[in-house]
Amino acid sequence: MFNMEQHLHLILPVILPVAAGGAMLAGKPLKENKRAGRVVLLLALGLELLLVAQALMKGGGMVFWHLTGTMELAFQIDEISVLFAALTSGIWLLVGIYGISYMSFEHRENQFFGWYLVVLGVLIGLDFSGNLLTMYVFYELMTLTSLPLVLHERTHQAVMAGLKYLFYSVAGAFLALFGIFFLAGIAESLTFVPGGTVTREIIAGKEGLFLGAVVCMIIGFGAKAGMFPLHGWLPTAHPEAPAPASAVLSGIITKSGVLAVIRVVFYIVGPDNLRGTWVQNVWILLSLLTVFMGSMLAYKEPMLKKRLAYSTVSQVSYILFGLSVLNPVAFAGALSHVMFHSLIKNALFLCAGAVIVTTGRKQVNEMKGLGKIMPKALLCYTIVSLGLIGIPPLCGFVSKWYLAAGALASDTGVWSFLGPAVLLISALLTAGYLLPVSLNGFFPGEDLPCGDCMPKEQGKKEPSLSMLVPIGILTAGTLLSGIFPQSFFAMLTGIAERVF
Amino acid sequence: MSFVQNFPFFSIIIAMFSGIISSVLSGKKARNVTFGAILIILILSAGVLHFCSGQGSYTYMMGHFPAPWGNEIRAGVLEGLTAVFFCLVMLLSVLGGMKHTEQDIESSKHNLFYIMVDLMLSSLLALIYTNDLFTAYVFVEINTIAGCGMILIRQKGRSLSSAIRYMILSQLGSGLFLIGLSLLYDVTGHLLMSPAKEAVAVIEAAGTYGIPMLVIVAVISVGLAIKSGLYPFHYWIPDTYGYATPAASAILSGLVSKGYIFLLIKIFYRVLGQENVIASQIVNVLFVFGLAGMVMGSLHAILERDMRRMIAFSSVAQIGYIYMGIGLGTQAGMIAAIFHIFTHSATKALLFISAVGLYEVSGDRKDYKSLRGSGYRNPLAGIGFGIGALSMVGFPMLSGFISKLLFATSALQSPSKMLPTLIVLAVSTVLNAVYFLRMVITIYSIPREKEKSMKEGESLPGSWNLRLAITCFILLNLTLGLFSQPIVKAIGNGLAMFA
Repeated sequence: MFNMEQHLHLILPVILPVAAGGAMLAGKPLKENKRAGRVVLLLALGLELLLVAQALMKGGGMVFWHLTGTMELAFQIDEISVLFAALTSGIWLLVGIYGISYMSFEHRENQFFGWYLVVLGVLIGLDFSGNLLTMYVFYELMTLTSLPLVLHERTHQAVMAGLKYLFYSVAGAFLALFGIFFLAGIAESLTFVPGGTVTREIIAGKEGLFLGAVVCMIIGFGAKAGMFPLHGWLPTAHPEAPAPASAVLSGIITKSGVLAVIRVVFYIVGPDNLRGTWVQNVWILLSLLTVFMGSMLAYKEPMLKKRLAYSTVSQVSYILFGLSVLNPVAFAGALSHVMFHSLIKNALFLCAGAVIVTTGRKQVNEMKGLGKIMPKALLCYTIVSLGLIGIPPLCGFVSKWYLAAGALASDTGVWSFLGPAVLLISALLTAGYLLPVSLNGFFPGEDLPCGDCMPKEQGKKEPSLSMLVPIGILTAGTLLSGIFPQSFFAMLTGIAERVF
Repeated sequence: MSFVQNFPFFSIIIAMFSGIISSVLSGKKARNVTFGAILIILILSAGVLHFCSGQGSYTYMMGHFPAPWGNEIRAGVLEGLTAVFFCLVMLLSVLGGMKHTEQDIESSKHNLFYIMVDLMLSSLLALIYTNDLFTAYVFVEINTIAGCGMILIRQKGRSLSSAIRYMILSQLGSGLFLIGLSLLYDVTGHLLMSPAKEAVAVIEAAGTYGIPMLVIVAVISVGLAIKSGLYPFHYWIPDTYGYATPAASAILSGLVSKGYIFLLIKIFYRVLGQENVIASQIVNVLFVFGLAGMVMGSLHAILERDMRRMIAFSSVAQIGYIYMGIGLGTQAGMIAAIFHIFTHSATKALLFISAVGLYEVSGDRKDYKSLRGSGYRNPLAGIGFGIGALSMVGFPMLSGFISKLLFATSALQSPSKMLPTLIVLAVSTVLNAVYFLRMVITIYSIPREKEKSMKEGESLPGSWNLRLAITCFILLNLTLGLFSQPIVKAIGNGLAMFA
């Protein structure tokens, strides 16, 4: 069917984590042995990083299955794959290292790591997908394989959260499937081509249905990205999972919804077919609504992890807003925010997890005096929070700058200035919901019931090194990518030029 | 004449004779005879399929009386393919439900069950192969009786009342079918399909008998629709499938209703003429009821707490899919409908058989609460149920996805029906997901502590035949999902041969 050796570099990065994860889930010797599980996890994650790097360098594409006469499953590496796959495998390694010490406080850690690895393989497959059908296959697989991460605690709440996650995702995916069926019927191929494959001649006469299908796909895939109206699962499911899982769910898996929307709009449908239509207006409206609503809900939420989850709802819709104005500059800003938000949100969730395992505190108002207990972790938290708010020279500033500039330059009527205004208000709210933790942590004030919050015999109680180092690396990434964004943005602008 | 051309006749007669022999054998021997017969028929049917895909279709004269007096058998690619498939599903269903068959039925009556299986198989094969309308009617009745016997043989609980309900509705269906045949015989003067079709063509060309022809089309369609459980004639389905012994449920839902649909399609193409049926608007009626069934069946299934009744209600929805495909009135729609016949047989039988494995380890209780965690207690059955559920929901690489794809693409070819089809397809898919995935989650969630004491926590891998049957069904599903292309092509060829 295909030359095995020639395409091994594309298959292996998908197979390896799935195989390693499967071995951990099924294999008797690995299932029980904690130490062996950790070794396998680290080896698999490290090797995976190398394999992905090699695959991204070599590039290329392959068809690995003919499902029907016209539909095939295929891999194809392009710049979007590079961005997402590199981000995914890198973050997965860092969070994996963190997870080893975090999960030692939990039970059944090998089962967790098994699914954790399987999801990685599926995500890499999603990033490598060369056409819509392949992407859909891996998208569904991602939902199913990430479900055990949410269900891990197996409490009643976890099961209910898992069900909610499943139903929202599946409902979204089938909304999208409706669109895929429609496009499969009219488009010549579902292969991803920068700028889209659907021409005006194809849709002549069925514009209404075509736009309906596109809006279904945007809302459907938007469910994974937490876009209103299918955002309800996110604040329930993310905090239920153990911290490493919430980190990657928020940081990476929501981005696969973004990836799917990018693929549909910019690689199949074509931005020109949407510009100025009601679909674009609905899309902008929904994303701005989500940006504002997510921030407001986060602002009012007392539980830290849940607050971070609401923040994800809001921030991922920044990305969707950047895509929806169909402007090259905003597009570059959106892609950069994919990466920056991923770094920041992972760091935030890891910090929240570190607080939980070292002090057991979950509510925001319990964080008083935290700076005396774990100053390093809280410092990292503060730095990345500033990044998310968008304070220069941290990376959030750069991406938001591009988003706002792109929106202002776009010809979307009232949205072109209303959008940036909403982004600014939301940034203010972001400061409002993230910084109180740092402020109360470092400056508890006079009325601190100090015997309560800082037991004398414990004093400083930083999380272990293997938890601190990943947080530190993510924080450094936030800082450095904000100071030296030039080459990264050169690449993104290149992508934007090709798709517009 | 090639020797292979005798095979369709041999298959029918072998099935009947093994039924007759089984009547004097003990339960165990009857079982072995039945298995042997099904295996032989499977091989014979494969031979027919191979012959027809090389040489095309043929009619086979029974008893050397030429048309229009004699009785005929006709075989083509589609007949061969369906026969192979039905034998396979039958074999695996009986295999998977074997242990329960022996538990549910009094030991003195074991051989009776296998007689019913043999009769069922012979009547299904006859429905597939026959080229004679009255033979079709006779075997429809045999099929009904065998079906009733299968339900009734488990003399427990509600199976008695459900068998009576099945009997009454089935008789209503066959009665309508018989009226249709009588009218057709009046109008055309033929009972063999090919001469009847010529006569119908003459009548249509002359423009006479407008109303009788419409009545014929309507009565035959409705009669067979009732028998195959199209919404709103589905009331017999949940009780019947829910309370019969598992092998019988799998056979009834997987095969029996499909046999009638196959007969209906054959009559449409070989007697009434597909274009006449489309012109009579009856397809539109089938289309509407198909759509209604897709939604209502799923809604009922969502409300159901009992696992087997839930699967049964899902059958109502799936039968709706098939009629929707027929109702589209296009070649592509028909191909999709026939492919879905295969998909649904393979998947629904897999679900029923996996369900056996799951409630075996839950103290034979079939409600949601008791099934919690059963996926861990019998891992293979859990995987089987999961795959079946995903296939029904339309997960890519499984057979259900290909069905949905075929339905959707065929809908795009008929502009007036495109929008309702696509919308209902999407709605029904989401509804399917609601109840199937909820069940999958249930079987993989951990029972709460206080409930744990209620049932034995030990894990049972199930008997070897159950495991074998589940494995084969999973493979069958994957085959349909991954290698759909040759099958779809064969269906297309078979339909072309019908003309």
